[in-house]
Amino acid sequence: MISRAALKRLVPRLRFGAANLRFKTTSASEDEIGHFQELAPSWWDINGSQRILHLMNNTRLDFIQRNIRQNVKVDYPDTYIPGFQYKAFFPQRVSQEIENDLELKITEKLEKSKFDVLDIGCGGGILAECLARLPITRRVTGIDLTPEVIKVAREHSSKDPVLNGKLEYRLQALEEVEEKYDLVTCFEMLEHVDVPAEILRHAWMKLKPQGFLFLSTINRDLISWFTTIFMGEYVLRVVPVGTHHLNKYIKSSEIKEWFQENEPNTHKVLDAKGVMYYPFNGWAEHDCPDVGNYFMAIKKLD
Amino acid sequence: MLAKFAIVRKCTLRKLASTSISPKLTDVLIVGGGPAGLTLAAALKSTPKLQHLKTTLVDASDLMGKVAPFYDCPPENFTNRVVSLTPPSKSFIETKAGAKMLEDRIQPYDGMYVTDGLTNSTLDMERESMAYMVELLNIQSSLLKRIKEMNLPDESLRLLDNTKVANIEHSDPEDITSWPIVTLDNGDVFKTRLLVGADGFNSPVRKFSEIESRGWFYNRFGLVATMKLEYPPYKLRGWQRFLPTGPIAHLTLPDNNATLVWSTTESLSRLLREITPEQFTGLVNAAFVLEDSDLKYYYCQLEKGAISTEELLEDINFRTEQVYDSLENDDLIDEVYPPRVKSVLGPSRARFPLKMFHADTYCKDRIALVGDAAHTTHPLAGQGLNMGQGDVEALVKALENASMRGLDIGSLLSLQPFWAERYPINNMLLGMTDKLHKIYSTDFTPVVALRSLGVDVINKFGPLKDLISGTLSDSGR
Repeated sequence: MISRAALKRLVPRLRFGAANLRFKTTSASEDEIGHFQELAPSWWDINGSQRILHLMNNTRLDFIQRNIRQNVKVDYPDTYIPGFQYKAFFPQRVSQEIENDLELKITEKLEKSKFDVLDIGCGGGILAECLARLPITRRVTGIDLTPEVIKVAREHSSKDPVLNGKLEYRLQALEEVEEKYDLVTCFEMLEHVDVPAEILRHAWMKLKPQGFLFLSTINRDLISWFTTIFMGEYVLRVVPVGTHHLNKYIKSSEIKEWFQENEPNTHKVLDAKGVMYYPFNGWAEHDCPDVGNYFMAIKKLD
Repeated sequence: MLAKFAIVRKCTLRKLASTSISPKLTDVLIVGGGPAGLTLAAALKSTPKLQHLKTTLVDASDLMGKVAPFYDCPPENFTNRVVSLTPPSKSFIETKAGAKMLEDRIQPYDGMYVTDGLTNSTLDMERESMAYMVELLNIQSSLLKRIKEMNLPDESLRLLDNTKVANIEHSDPEDITSWPIVTLDNGDVFKTRLLVGADGFNSPVRKFSEIESRGWFYNRFGLVATMKLEYPPYKLRGWQRFLPTGPIAHLTLPDNNATLVWSTTESLSRLLREITPEQFTGLVNAAFVLEDSDLKYYYCQLEKGAISTEELLEDINFRTEQVYDSLENDDLIDEVYPPRVKSVLGPSRARFPLKMFHADTYCKDRIALVGDAAHTTHPLAGQGLNMGQGDVEALVKALENASMRGLDIGSLLSLQPFWAERYPINNMLLGMTDKLHKIYSTDFTPVVALRSLGVDVINKFGPLKDLISGTLSDSGR
């Protein structure tokens, strides 16, 4: 099914970064921009063509929240943290109270050091809106290169008063962004750009020390072709046809290699998880990030 | 004329909505302060991930004046609205909503003894703490107490009792995802992110949402009453006998108290409410022991006024003794019949129509329905209130997830998991109850023979019996 030409292109793409430089290294092709322009009107219809993306967004936020919250150390002297499986030993009422207390303390700590967030390739704002609603973020900036989706994103965010003043969308290329952020997200976008290595380089530059980079894309293998293109676009038709191109997919090992080569001592991969779509049940994480779709959390060390 | 009035009314309401300065913003507006609505309010405020949601609860009745005082000075006698609370529902109210009910007014029971009024075939389910009999006022007042003790500022939780919803409309009529604007009859106007209908069978919120609710009336009425027993029960269990006119249930309360739910035809329910408490007491005792033809004779005589109270009681006693004598030994009396009723609290008798309705969905953009607003059921399986508690639990869980994910908690995406979790369970319980009612509301001989055979088989086959009592005891959860 895959053409010879496509097979030939199945070579690690990340290293070629600078080889096909264009006007802007972090830009996307006309085709990609045009494709998302067509999708813009139905972006927020959760029963429409983007439903699967809305469902995936739930899993993204679970992944982000878990990784951030696991990184918080509760060290208040008056908080009792049992060093054992307390749920098995205490009555439900007591263990529920301990859990509530711990939950509140983590939130309290996170809310003190609020995050500035950059969402690269924000599209209609599905992820950016959610991030902006979280009490642990101070400000969220979403950037994208398709004017129509930015318009949709702005319109939709204006409907929720909570987002007022906290969420900003810009039609801007990544390399033009000047500020630095505590949290940079780059979900389902590396497979839509020409030079993903440049995106990684710039995204990393925008990150403050101790900041988090969250990214996701799709492994370049036959399983991904089968699930995301053959099944997703042509058989189940849960993804608009033409959304994906196998030769643009990136293996999770290539991302790790890139960081090893370029940022050997300044990064730590916190977590890498495969994600899979189960019809009727939505997305779920699994422990094999080398197959199909995957999420990754990387922390910037000092 | 009526139409004109309606238009004028609508205009004034719209005026009210548009002229008032600006609507107050709230995240969750709960219509209805019944057990479902109050549990939801208390659970939202007790859950760390949801505490920040500005919550408003509106109820038409006098919650603070009539319901709340029950907790601190409960009446001596038990009130007549008593429900069966299953262990998961009780634990949800206690742990998630944080309410502490008055334990000395709660009666756990260890099984159900169900008999067929025509053939006496029996289903004897034993299960320790299968469920708890609780007064509705106990549940409501303990939740109100909990809410009061949290001492929340007005913008965190606003409880508006003695207040009705006058009008609901979308803030942007073109956009069904826009926040609903709710106008109250005290002039307050709220704009809410999520509107929860916990407002019962005639739910105004459901009507606004245009969600269809389908079902039927059973053409039967439920009659409730509070009873005093001659002596405390020998076995703590519920007793239910399926008469051709509908099931009669004797459910135990602490000490020598018990509560009654008698489902029957419209005309009989009227008769049962009108006869003297003494006559009614006699009939309740008779209904669990005597044959259907005897009962029919009494109904007929009472209807005509052709029998005095003394004659009635004497006849019932005589026939009851006859039945007792036919038993192998006297110990069986306490085994197969509920303890005898000494008296019925006269004013505690009340009746209500029985029906089964189920909404097509429980959520739309900005709308969620819980409890009787989403489904109503025949009381014979004791599941109605527990289904509502299950709804609230699932809704709280869905909102917790949505809130952790930063979703708009009023969006359909946030609410869908709640509906997906609850609909199949409720559908199963509603269907089960409905079929039971239908199988037992006939005296057509082949059906009676088949159902008796079925019940006898189930009664002898342990695993199946456990499955049934388990389903009843955890409300399908």
